[in-house]
Amino acid sequence: MGVAPQLSAFEAALAASLPAGELRAALETAGLPHRRIEAWKWSDLRAALAKAPARAGMLSVNASRKADEITTLDRQPDLLMPRLAAGLSEGCPVYALKDGESLSLDFEGSEGASHHIAAVNVPAGVSATLHERYRVVAGGFANIALRIVLGEGATLTRIVEQDASPNGVLVVTTGIDLSPRAKLHQTTLGFGAKLARLETHITHAGEGAQLVLGGSYLVASGLHLDQTGIVRHTGTNGATRELFKGAAAKGGRGVFQGKIHVEQAAQKTDAQMNHRGLLLGDGAEIYAKPELEIYADDVVCAHGNALGAVDDEALFYMRQRGLSEARARAVLTRSFLAEPLDAIEDETVREALLARLDAALEAVS
Amino acid sequence: MLEIKNLHARVNPEEGEAKAILKGVDLTVPAGEVHAIMGPNGCGKSTLSYVLAGHEGYEVTDGSVSFLGEEMGELEPEERAAKGLFLSFQYPVEIPGVPTLTFLKEAANAQLKARGEGEISAPEFMKFARENAAKLGISSEMLKRPVNVGFSGGEKKRMEIFQAMMLSPKFLILDETDSGLDIDALRVVADGVNALRSPERGMLVITHYQRLLEYLKPDVVHVMADGRIVKTGGPELALELEAEGYEKFTGAAA
Repeated sequence: MGVAPQLSAFEAALAASLPAGELRAALETAGLPHRRIEAWKWSDLRAALAKAPARAGMLSVNASRKADEITTLDRQPDLLMPRLAAGLSEGCPVYALKDGESLSLDFEGSEGASHHIAAVNVPAGVSATLHERYRVVAGGFANIALRIVLGEGATLTRIVEQDASPNGVLVVTTGIDLSPRAKLHQTTLGFGAKLARLETHITHAGEGAQLVLGGSYLVASGLHLDQTGIVRHTGTNGATRELFKGAAAKGGRGVFQGKIHVEQAAQKTDAQMNHRGLLLGDGAEIYAKPELEIYADDVVCAHGNALGAVDDEALFYMRQRGLSEARARAVLTRSFLAEPLDAIEDETVREALLARLDAALEAVS
Repeated sequence: MLEIKNLHARVNPEEGEAKAILKGVDLTVPAGEVHAIMGPNGCGKSTLSYVLAGHEGYEVTDGSVSFLGEEMGELEPEERAAKGLFLSFQYPVEIPGVPTLTFLKEAANAQLKARGEGEISAPEFMKFARENAAKLGISSEMLKRPVNVGFSGGEKKRMEIFQAMMLSPKFLILDETDSGLDIDALRVVADGVNALRSPERGMLVITHYQRLLEYLKPDVVHVMADGRIVKTGGPELALELEAEGYEKFTGAAA
């Protein structure tokens, strides 16, 4: 433990809003996550919030239906940000999904700091969809924690949309438990914020459970999107497929941190993780850290990561056929970014996300 | 139609020194004629096609190119395309995620727009696509696939000619269209090119071998060596080259 940091006015006010206790002490000791903490080295939350107004903000949560109950969590999260979200929320709405249900949760944070926690349960054998959307406006900060549990043989399609929020700071931390034979297909479409971090921790029980984790991101100038995902395989015969593709324009920053952790008990794990980044101009930034940590000896695991620019020869080819340079670039970027979204089964949702991607590409070029 | 005068060009690699490749090319192709350029590897044939199409990797250091009486100067590749210049690539590029017909419709409309003409309607475009695909033995399944993705060398060349048919250019440059083709594919491609011959259209056929020219029957054959046209003649010149090789020309150019 190092020397206690000089807390920013924002951090001091945040600490003061907490009751005395462990959480408050943790915040006072370490402050908010910042670039000297390995897991946050490319996303300096402390710096992004240093001058933010500390007063309590507004977070409007638009849910497609009422929660089944408001409760308190039986177990506190381990990480500081979801702990803060839990500690500063008044109860936790819990949604128990029904078979065939599609739940949408629409979050909009505005001026000031707001914290929220919610839980979604997908009972055994149930197949459902969860569609989240996040935006932060007017210099606000939204810290949201989600807890998702998939029971045995449950299937969840999770769609996460994160709208461009040039004046906002957003942290979403999701903890997901995948029971045996459960299936989760999660797809993210993100455009970044002044700083946005979508952090996902998945405990994968294996025993035939399947995880497909993917996303596309496009960060325009001045925007920052960090997608950090940790998948922990704890049981045998689990499968994980990850594909993230992103593009950064000049002045935009993308961060991908992916880790697959295979415990010794998780034999016969089959896991693949891929990240591909496209730098759209000089001064575009994408940082990637793919990691495999494997303690079992009978597994098939692989990861890949590649960063590049739009292929000049493909550009020339398309221009030779008559497309303008800007248009050729947009078409190539679109076809690159569309792949993770193309895997969305529901055609309406897929087309809607692709249309959002197109609109964002139009604005970037 | 196409007039190339004393054209000098060099390649500007990202690393290393610029290298002169075209060293004074003179060439005129009138409308309605098919000219062939033959020459050994490295003589500058493909560079000439890239320079004509406006590739940014090459710099024109001297001379000029005029097309339909207009100086090409520094025109962008898409501006040249809109004026009616089509390059059939030696190595057509794969574009994953972009269906061939979607791409071609956008290209056609971009060219029409640049020329101040109205867009082609979708039914009209589809009808034209079906007709052209039938001429080249291209299945509708192939047209739905992303541009060139997963196609064999021969299929890619066939798709290049299909694209030319769809875009109806005024002038075609065929860069080693015969390379990588077996004899049957060669015939299909050559038939497609012959179908594009017209009194209003010029063609420049770049090739290493005489084989393609048996089918295309060029009006004029040029021999290129070391960045210049060193000899011009009739179709018999191609036969002469096939029989005797390029040595006497490369020697003459040295």
